[in-house]
Amino acid sequence: MRNPIKITLLLIFLNYSALAGGYQVSLHGQRQAGMGLIGTSLFMDASAAFYNPGALALMPQQISILGGVSGIFSNVTYQMTYPSLYQAQTDNPIGTPFYLYAAAKITDRLVAGIAVNTPFGNGLKWEEGWAGRFLIQEISLRAITIQPTVSFRISDEISAGAGFVYTMGFVEMERTLPVEGVDGEGKVNISGNTANYGFNAGLQYAGRNGLNIGISYRSQIDMAVDDAEAIFSVPLSLSGMFPAENSVAVTLPLPANLDFGLSYQFSRELMLGIALNYVFWDAYQDLTFNFETNTPALTDSSNPREYSNTLIVRAGGEYKVNNSLYLRAGAYYDPSPVNRDYFSPETPSLNTLALSGGFSFLPNSQISIDASLLFLMGMEESVTYSPENFGGTYKSRVLIPGIGISYSL
Amino acid sequence: MKKFRYTLLFAFAFSLLACEAEIDQYTPQAGDVDFSTYVALGTSLTAGFADNDLYRSAQINSYPNILAGQLSYVGLSGEFRQPLMLDELGFGNRLVLGISAGSLAPVPATGTPDQRNFASIAADGPFHNLGVPGALAAHLLFPGYGTLNPYYGRFASNPAESSIIAEAVALQPSFFSLWVGNNEILGYAVQGGVGTGITPPQEFQAYYSAILQQLVATAKGVVANIPDISSIPFFRTIPYDALALTQTQATMLNAAYAMAPHISFSAGANGFVVEDTAHPAGIRQLQAGELVLLTLPLDRVHNEGWGSSTPIPEQYYLSVDQVNNIQQAVESYNGIITSLAAQFELALVDVNQLLVDGERGIYFDALAFNTEFVTGGVFSLDGVHLSKRGNAIVANAFIEAINLTYRASIPKVAVGQYPGIIFP
Repeated sequence: MRNPIKITLLLIFLNYSALAGGYQVSLHGQRQAGMGLIGTSLFMDASAAFYNPGALALMPQQISILGGVSGIFSNVTYQMTYPSLYQAQTDNPIGTPFYLYAAAKITDRLVAGIAVNTPFGNGLKWEEGWAGRFLIQEISLRAITIQPTVSFRISDEISAGAGFVYTMGFVEMERTLPVEGVDGEGKVNISGNTANYGFNAGLQYAGRNGLNIGISYRSQIDMAVDDAEAIFSVPLSLSGMFPAENSVAVTLPLPANLDFGLSYQFSRELMLGIALNYVFWDAYQDLTFNFETNTPALTDSSNPREYSNTLIVRAGGEYKVNNSLYLRAGAYYDPSPVNRDYFSPETPSLNTLALSGGFSFLPNSQISIDASLLFLMGMEESVTYSPENFGGTYKSRVLIPGIGISYSL
Repeated sequence: MKKFRYTLLFAFAFSLLACEAEIDQYTPQAGDVDFSTYVALGTSLTAGFADNDLYRSAQINSYPNILAGQLSYVGLSGEFRQPLMLDELGFGNRLVLGISAGSLAPVPATGTPDQRNFASIAADGPFHNLGVPGALAAHLLFPGYGTLNPYYGRFASNPAESSIIAEAVALQPSFFSLWVGNNEILGYAVQGGVGTGITPPQEFQAYYSAILQQLVATAKGVVANIPDISSIPFFRTIPYDALALTQTQATMLNAAYAMAPHISFSAGANGFVVEDTAHPAGIRQLQAGELVLLTLPLDRVHNEGWGSSTPIPEQYYLSVDQVNNIQQAVESYNGIITSLAAQFELALVDVNQLLVDGERGIYFDALAFNTEFVTGGVFSLDGVHLSKRGNAIVANAFIEAINLTYRASIPKVAVGQYPGIIFP
């Protein structure tokens, strides 16, 4: 057994990148979702705590509480490199990210709030036995972020705010090992959790003429799992090569975001806005797995990723039909941060065009029922994971309906 | 009209909800070739021989059968019939991976082969895979070869009279593959260069040309050259200096060989002591560049002093000269195959280059392959023949060559979807 069976345990957290790259669905509010996820310059409720802490001070309510949930129905198709007729699809579980925000005016100028959301809560599951199973079979990541926030109105037009971000991550992945026994192929399952913190800060300009400009920055948070559990199931004769009780250390950066938003209230009824999200993906250069116990068949591995920074462009708007009905629409373009030569199917992140729509129904002045629907088209692209010669064409479709409720006082 | 519009709207809404990401597939083209009747000629490699035997699942995963499956996208009609064994034990010589003396090693498979494996299945013919283990190019042309070779005998339409080439021609093939020439050299190599000699290249050329002349009458085809036999795991697994000694053992052996000063030992790795009739002393030690055969009985090395106190017989190794003979023959044969392929305007598969690439290590579909024994994934447990995935890799190489030469676009297979070597 001189030949090490390379265990490049791709991406524990890859799922995160799956969501934040071509799947970037910052589902942190149904109102924003309806408008192509613009939000940086808006301050309609407590959700500003997440989108731009600087804008939170300007929220119109004394108290704002809202919560909501979305369902992510996603599908990725893989077509092996020409000439081939081999295709495989994902059979992803339905992701259910949720959010909960609460904020209250402490004084006329000071607002305190808290944001709890699940920015990364999807799962990727390729069809059983698919051709890329030696890279990834199944992966899931759940991250829950808690962010206490304060926001202060410096002048009539300028406000600033900041939040402390505490992120907890739970990950699990499964990969097929290139060893086969009478009971089938070997597998490795890795699971673990971690937590880390960062910050979120922003500035807001709110002109009297209806022009709003916001800028915010969320810091990079490194998710470092020191002792993820690595469970190997291999043929008996190879059990010595894959110790039963092993653990693995791995770190994945959750990149920083610099967001800019601009919106304009054209009339009482119509508001239109844009947002730019610059994502510092170049923090993700490689993914390294360090096993506590190494064997000739189980060596540590460093896998190149070499992501690039991306700029997401969003536009959207809201139309007030009457006091009890608002309609929304939007769109955005989210380019893939993934390097074409290091495109691994655990992160099938494609250049994505998204369309959205939504509405709010207000049965009374205090309650609002908010709904949104997003449709994401990951554009077909031919790429390869060159270190292991796994190439092909990928395409994705994601449909995300969401519902939420807001309470204002 | 209105109803139609609603239907359309409904269909659109449904496609959104189903959210299937559909990728259009290309339409495979046959190019300049009629693939309707494909016949495969060759040796054990073509028959699907693996793990030291010819057995059913290995035959099903033979490269001709894999190729035929892909040719069905470009016009292959009817069944590609193979002379299948009834079970996984073939003639009873199969090796499986097991535990021997505490470590993983190929061991004989247990069980009794189905007796029908030894009976004629000619009635189930005609067969399209005419690969016959052990066959030389000359044998393909030889009427009555079925009486000499039981692998052919069991499916020959008339063992005493029919020839492999005649069976092929009788099918009126529109397309053929031919991979022959390995055994002419392998036969010499696996006997440590002391048995049958290598068939002279001129003779090989005459037989090869005669085979092609008969086939091209009705068919276009693909031929494959032969790999450097001396680089397969059968010759590359046991190092020439695998004799590991302690200082005490080395001192004792040096004393024992005091009468043969050209033989000396030291602590650590030492060249095996072997018989060599060409050497004045009749015995010597192996040097770098010489190859030990996988058939060397390691228990005798461990228990009976083979390679140290007892010289290893000549049939278990290849000397530098013998390795040169093999490599020169491979080169000559491949020159012949290349020029005949050009002469008959056939596609050519460069298996020799494929093996060279494989030695360095190569990934297919996120699976690592190299030419190491067992773990390399390309060769089966006999160290000579291809594994199931090895057959898939070779089938893809055939497809590549056919596509290139005949402007076809036959789809390749996903290598990782074929079975791997089974570990206990």
